[in-house]
Amino acid sequence: MKKIFNVPDMTCPNCAMHLEGLEDEIPGVKSITASYKKLTMEVEFDETNLTIEQIILAANEIGYHPELKPS
Amino acid sequence: MDLIVAFITGLTTGGLGCLAVQGGLLTSTLAHQIEQDMQAHNGAGSTHKFKPHIAQPILFFLLAKLIAYTILGYLLGAVGSVLQLTPFMQAILYFAIGIFMIGNGLRMFNVHPIFRYFVIEPPSALTRYIRRKSKNGASFFTPLLLGTLTIFLPCGVTQAMMATALGTGSPIQGAILMFSFILGTSPLFFSVAYFATRLGSAIEKYFTRIVAVTMLIMGLVQIDTGLNLSGASFSISRTVSILQAYALPAQTGRSIEVNEFGYFPQILHLPANQELTIEWVTRNTQSCARSVVVPGLEYQEILPVTGRTEFNIPPQEKGAIIRYTCSMGMYPSQFVFDLEPTETN
Repeated sequence: MKKIFNVPDMTCPNCAMHLEGLEDEIPGVKSITASYKKLTMEVEFDETNLTIEQIILAANEIGYHPELKPS
Repeated sequence: MDLIVAFITGLTTGGLGCLAVQGGLLTSTLAHQIEQDMQAHNGAGSTHKFKPHIAQPILFFLLAKLIAYTILGYLLGAVGSVLQLTPFMQAILYFAIGIFMIGNGLRMFNVHPIFRYFVIEPPSALTRYIRRKSKNGASFFTPLLLGTLTIFLPCGVTQAMMATALGTGSPIQGAILMFSFILGTSPLFFSVAYFATRLGSAIEKYFTRIVAVTMLIMGLVQIDTGLNLSGASFSISRTVSILQAYALPAQTGRSIEVNEFGYFPQILHLPANQELTIEWVTRNTQSCARSVVVPGLEYQEILPVTGRTEFNIPPQEKGAIIRYTCSMGMYPSQFVFDLEPTETN
């Protein structure tokens, strides 16, 4: 499953790299592509192992507050 | 040329000259690292004093520069033919870098979301690869890239060294020559960049703003340099220089003194509608003024350290102005064709 989140509190390009680093930390995440330009983060994950809330929580822990983008 | 001489040239005039012309790229490198450190510091809720880790990006920047120029020296020696950007191409490059820096400065001030597009974001696949290879993540990507880019912004002394590398006609000699020279420029680059930013960490509260303002100023300087190199009639430095020159009596004659402070007289009045020969006079001249560029006549010449070099100017209409500068866009000067034709040229 792929979901896009708005991440309004990215302040520099390194925030995007920081968020992408979560893909190695959260079990069940296949890939994360974040963009500082668009202030978004696209997460591909296995929905049987992981919920959207858990992804948001993991991002909160490193200082970001993503919101699920309405599709 | 002796390799020790190349090293010492780099250590002295090369270091200073190149810092002026390539400082913009180094500032971008540091801005990137400082933002990252500031973010890590704030994110961790640390009560310790903020101290950016700038030694590493400066070293990566200088290392990339050293490698890039060594390769360039190898290619120059191998090709043995002219591999030089025209002044106009250099001007466009300076404009692009100036706009990039101003855009980044405005981005750091959060002026408008559009300025986020001025950021160089490495592709995700690359950052992923680097992140997994190194604990430091992608923090060295930008300094490496920007250090490599300095080969497109050679200062006057570097151009002279590149010409020497070309003249060796040997790839290995060319590479060693450029390596010695760039290695010589490195201590000054490192010291200035390191201590300038250390000083800044004492006033951490304003640090990001200081970097942003520096970016804006450097950006304007780059655009001003681009304007001088393109032969444009207006630039800030040209206006200042012309105002200074007009305070002096009008100068005539057929020779231009080229020294450490530029070209004198800065404004030379010449006869119109007549072919002329001007002489550039150098006397142990080490500054970038040695590398003279006349964009309007597509003339570019590296003058000898000491000597007289002739320069022919085709007839110009009365009232015409020909602007020139050094190859770094410094010392803007001009010929004004407002005198009546004379018998001798």
